[in-house]
Amino acid sequence: MTVAEGAKYVAAAYAIIMAVIIVYYFMSSRRVAVLQRDIQLLESEVKRQTPAPGAE
Amino acid sequence: MKKLLSAPVLFAAAGILLVVGVVLAFWYSPIDASSMGFSQKIFYYHVPIAAAALVAYGVAFVAAILYLRSQDLKWDRLGYVSVRIGLLFSILVMATGMIWGKASWGVWWAWEPRLTTYLLACFLYAAYWVLRSVVDEEQRRATYAAVFAIIAFIDVPITYFATRLMPSGLHPVLSGLAGSMAVSFGICMLGMLTLMTALIKRDYEIELIKDRVTDLKTSLGG
Repeated sequence: MTVAEGAKYVAAAYAIIMAVIIVYYFMSSRRVAVLQRDIQLLESEVKRQTPAPGAE
Repeated sequence: MKKLLSAPVLFAAAGILLVVGVVLAFWYSPIDASSMGFSQKIFYYHVPIAAAALVAYGVAFVAAILYLRSQDLKWDRLGYVSVRIGLLFSILVMATGMIWGKASWGVWWAWEPRLTTYLLACFLYAAYWVLRSVVDEEQRRATYAAVFAIIAFIDVPITYFATRLMPSGLHPVLSGLAGSMAVSFGICMLGMLTLMTALIKRDYEIELIKDRVTDLKTSLGG
């Protein structure tokens, strides 16, 4: 197999690896950001619903 | 030390190692003299990804044992994300392996021992995924998943030793790499294992955050 013949297979293999890993990385990063935002919202809601000590 | 092993640092380290490894693989290591020729360059990522997938399944195996001993759900979460990353890497192994097979054997697939046992591992761990989705009660789901992860792991050493125990003459056996090839391969292997660790760590953190969200929703009454 010549370099030119092999190159298209090699390029395809590396392109698939890079694409899948990069897409997965950004998906998980986005998921972390969304979940952290949810946590902040929920924590502020819990604080709002919990009466401050001594408050009546 | 904790900061050094944080997911962003591990991702950065993996990125650097993988880029250096692939640059060395293409410009430092020679083109393989066998019939594989230039297509052998796929090997520098294909084999480390395969190894990383098997290590991820190993992490799931250890986490399953630790869960069954302690009943602590953190081990269930670790096992779950390890199987997920192992499956992600397995899909990449199958895809790159098929491309390499087409280039060097002339066929996309061959029913030879290594490929068959690897495909079986993919099916087993996909079944682990299905099993988790059909059991609702948390502790019961974690117990079933842990037992299944231990059983599924039996296929991992079989896959690893398949080419040595049942040589088909088709799938190459990794042995005696030349100096420059060994350096490139070693860096790619280190990079891929670091990437696997970073992905497992990131996904594990996601699972912990999801648990925290569930707790907060419960404390809010819904």
